[in-house]
Amino acid sequence: MSIFARLLPLLLALVLAAPLVAQTPLQDVLQANRVEVANPSRASVGQVLAALREADAPGTSEFLRQWQDRMVVEDPATGLFHVSLEVEGRQLALIDLDSGAEIGRVSSRDVIPIRPNAGVRREIGAALVRFELSAPDPSRRLAALEAIARSPDADQIPLLESAIPDESDADIRARKLRLLDLLNARFATDTGQRIAAIKGLSGDVSTEARRVLNQILATEPGLAPTLPTDRNIARVLIAGQHLSPHEAYDRLVAAGLAPARPERNTLRDALLAHVADGAVAGLPLHRLSDPAARIEAYGVLQAQGLVPPLVGEADIAATLAGYVFFDTYLEPDPALTDAARAALDQTATRLTLFQWMAISLDALSLASIFFLAAIGLAITFGVMRVINMAHGEFIMMGAYTGYVVQTVIPDYTVSLIVALPLAFVVAFGAGVAMERLVIRHLYTRPLETLLATFGMSIALQQLAKNIFGTQAKPLTAPDWLAGAISLNDVVSISTIRVAIFVLALIFLAALLIMLKRTRLGLEVRAVTQNPGMAASMGINPDRINMLTFGLGSGIAGVAGVAIGLYAQVTSEMGANYIVQSFMTVVVGGVGNVWGTLAGAGLIGFLQKGIEWFNPSNTLAAQTFMVLFIILFIQFRPRGIIALKGRAAGE
Amino acid sequence: MTLINRPPVAPTAPILAEGMAKVPPRRGFLRENPSLPWFLGLLTIFTLMVSVLSEGLGVGALSTSMVKIIGMTLCLCLIAIAMDVVWGYCGILSLGHFAFFGLGGYAIGMWQMYARTEIVIRDSMAGGVLPPTPAEVSDAVAAQIFGVVGSLDLPLIWSFAHSLPAQLALVVLVPGLLALVFGWLAFRSRVTGVYLSILTQAMTLALALYLFQNDSGLRGNNGLAGLQNIPGLLDVPQAVLSVWFLWASALALGLGYGLFAWVVSGKFGSVIRAIRDNEARVRFLGYNVEGYKLFVFTLTAIVSGIAGALYYPQAGIINPAELAPIASIYLAVWVAIGGRGRLYGAVIGAASVSLLSSWLTGGGAPNIEIGAFRLMWADWWLVLLGVGFVAVTLFFPKGIGGLFDKLVRKQP
Repeated sequence: MSIFARLLPLLLALVLAAPLVAQTPLQDVLQANRVEVANPSRASVGQVLAALREADAPGTSEFLRQWQDRMVVEDPATGLFHVSLEVEGRQLALIDLDSGAEIGRVSSRDVIPIRPNAGVRREIGAALVRFELSAPDPSRRLAALEAIARSPDADQIPLLESAIPDESDADIRARKLRLLDLLNARFATDTGQRIAAIKGLSGDVSTEARRVLNQILATEPGLAPTLPTDRNIARVLIAGQHLSPHEAYDRLVAAGLAPARPERNTLRDALLAHVADGAVAGLPLHRLSDPAARIEAYGVLQAQGLVPPLVGEADIAATLAGYVFFDTYLEPDPALTDAARAALDQTATRLTLFQWMAISLDALSLASIFFLAAIGLAITFGVMRVINMAHGEFIMMGAYTGYVVQTVIPDYTVSLIVALPLAFVVAFGAGVAMERLVIRHLYTRPLETLLATFGMSIALQQLAKNIFGTQAKPLTAPDWLAGAISLNDVVSISTIRVAIFVLALIFLAALLIMLKRTRLGLEVRAVTQNPGMAASMGINPDRINMLTFGLGSGIAGVAGVAIGLYAQVTSEMGANYIVQSFMTVVVGGVGNVWGTLAGAGLIGFLQKGIEWFNPSNTLAAQTFMVLFIILFIQFRPRGIIALKGRAAGE
Repeated sequence: MTLINRPPVAPTAPILAEGMAKVPPRRGFLRENPSLPWFLGLLTIFTLMVSVLSEGLGVGALSTSMVKIIGMTLCLCLIAIAMDVVWGYCGILSLGHFAFFGLGGYAIGMWQMYARTEIVIRDSMAGGVLPPTPAEVSDAVAAQIFGVVGSLDLPLIWSFAHSLPAQLALVVLVPGLLALVFGWLAFRSRVTGVYLSILTQAMTLALALYLFQNDSGLRGNNGLAGLQNIPGLLDVPQAVLSVWFLWASALALGLGYGLFAWVVSGKFGSVIRAIRDNEARVRFLGYNVEGYKLFVFTLTAIVSGIAGALYYPQAGIINPAELAPIASIYLAVWVAIGGRGRLYGAVIGAASVSLLSSWLTGGGAPNIEIGAFRLMWADWWLVLLGVGFVAVTLFFPKGIGGLFDKLVRKQP
């Protein structure tokens, strides 16, 4: 503190005038204080540090670190200071302080090592932190703050305090204040100061704030005949309510206050230890496969005083009655733990809110993926009543198109811009071809389109495997899509998922406009509702069917590029989505864009919701989701949004 | 208006009885099913031939693994005729029958695994000084079976695993009850057509996902293994055992064929075919359509379970991947290629496609050199199957079995 008080005006001047002052090389500054550098003492080191700070030569903080680590040596011939690095043998490599270049190798006997003592090293360390905390470069200041956050310690409080007043950057200043609170909450000597700091942390959902509060609230288990009054009790545990009688008893055993409970093999091992002449306690061995006989034999051994009595449930209950179980805080002061508990409770409310937000965002992104995967299917299924089992393969086709484009165009952004429309074109073409060649002939036999398209599906999958191999292919997102957008430590979502969400929105809007505002959309809706009547109004259902199938397939292709960006591209990737896509369509209701949206939303939120209850087990979540869908169809067999009127009767 | 709005009157019993009285007298069972004696005869001859050629009991021209493949194929034929009845005759395209097949396999596999592990454990414990208690044995068996999924306790569903009769009952009961409950839920809410297909597929997916979990009590994706060893028959060599299983599979197939031939003939058969062709009309005639569908669905599920219980001891291993939805779709493919609506068609389809598939993907077939290009059957078989399947659907909706019609009609 005292050093700092003297230096404050100087430092201020330095920060303000830094660009104007010509920088002096480090060696010159050190040579000006030769004696103090070579033989540092606690009293004299302050002078050197002040001079170093004044000069602000490049490499100063690096030098301070090396000085602290006893790596600096003095060359007796020239009187210059160098950094020494040990090379093989007893050789030292000397490195020039200013240039960082190696100037030669000497024996360790030819140089004078500089060995600052512990007190001096602490001073240097503090100066180093202070030096970095008030460095002119904001990124260095931030780095110093992160270093403090990583390994907090009581000594850093005064250093941090002193670096706050002249902080010019508002963000870094806030960060410094927050870090000071974190340090104070844990290390301040004055209870009032600590409580104030703890209060300052309430409602902060960042992991570091919660970690500090939880550290203050750390507990250890305790037990005693009666509840002690001199300890800071976190909570009293009642055996049978907060912990099972066995757990409570095991705590007693661990404390050496009760004999151990019999384990699985206690009885057998005791009997085995007393086998004599083919019998235990007079009972022949062959009878001892009966549990009752074993207990009888043990009873005999016990009566002879050869084995300790078995601890039964009644013994456990009787022993437990004599003790109180509790958790105590490691922190002895109740005022502090109360404050921390209150702060944490306040955080908990906000935390729950943010967690809900995080889950909703997750669910939303999953829903948009389902929507993208299913909307093409919904169109073909809705308009043509055709179950397209090969829909997943159009997704795959789109993803592979993206992969191929990336191998041709190395720039990821450009290749993505090319791949999206190209995937649409490729899948559209494949869809139209399939409609013309296969599906057209099966309109009167809907169940058989299911089989024929399944045949196409296995053929296309194997074809992709033959062409691209079984290895998963990467489809790399451009850098601007690679990061994550994070609101705080709880809520963060990867940019790619946001992009998929936006893509889903664009598709929704485009489809709605296409269906409601264009001639083609009108014709598609007419054919959906009544193909016969539409045909008699001059619409060519054949053409509409072909275009619709192509459109649905094309959308699947684009969805494939989007899905491929965050999952890998394999020949089976489409098959992974096909069942979910069908369920989305069926749950949502056939032949309606809004229905698919509702279905995707329901399934996405449901899956994430179930995962939230049991986060370790996504398989269970999927199982329950499928079960829910089966039940849901019981109550709304035509989906959430069902077509009404004659069209629904098919 | 009153006329139009009058609720439809359900036909009453006398009307039905009167209508039935006019039906011409039924032909004999065998005359309605001319394929049955042919099929049973061919099956018997085939089984005897394989037995004579087998390594275990005959001259040894067929290896044990080949006999096993033939036995397994017979089981697949059995589930295929079940699929044919539910789909080809009753019009329910179920994409879930392989799940019932798998459940049957799991039910028998649980007993095999438990009983065999118990024998091993008892042998290893026999060397100890103290004879083990029943609890110690079952603990050790549980630890042995479930150690691989990090558990030491026997799950509740293994309560009957020590008893062969109980597990044999479960082979029938588990698929039967599941089909009954699922079918009741689905049919009563009038889920039909492609919706029903997707729903059955969802059921299969849910079951497979459930079984993939380690805490499902069925060893997660490890499945049950070592099923080729039959507890109690451990001294019998596999070569002989394979022939016994071949006989059992052939017997089951023959009985199944007879049972289904009986089910689809007569009045019952007419009703379920009518349901396939026009469900609403049958309902308006007063038939309890849901009851008929439920019966067919459940009966075929039970037969599928039995087929699975015979299949997996020959395959030796069962894991949840066997129940994946794709397997049930392949089942539909076999039946469609063989020819729907005729039992022998299903048998032909299942046998030819599954044998061809294992021959071509197993490297049995020679690769074809076309100039610089080399056609690898293992790579191209699925492409061929897919395209061939599309072609069958488009050009031969009656499948291979349709060829028989032409033969029969040419010689009236």
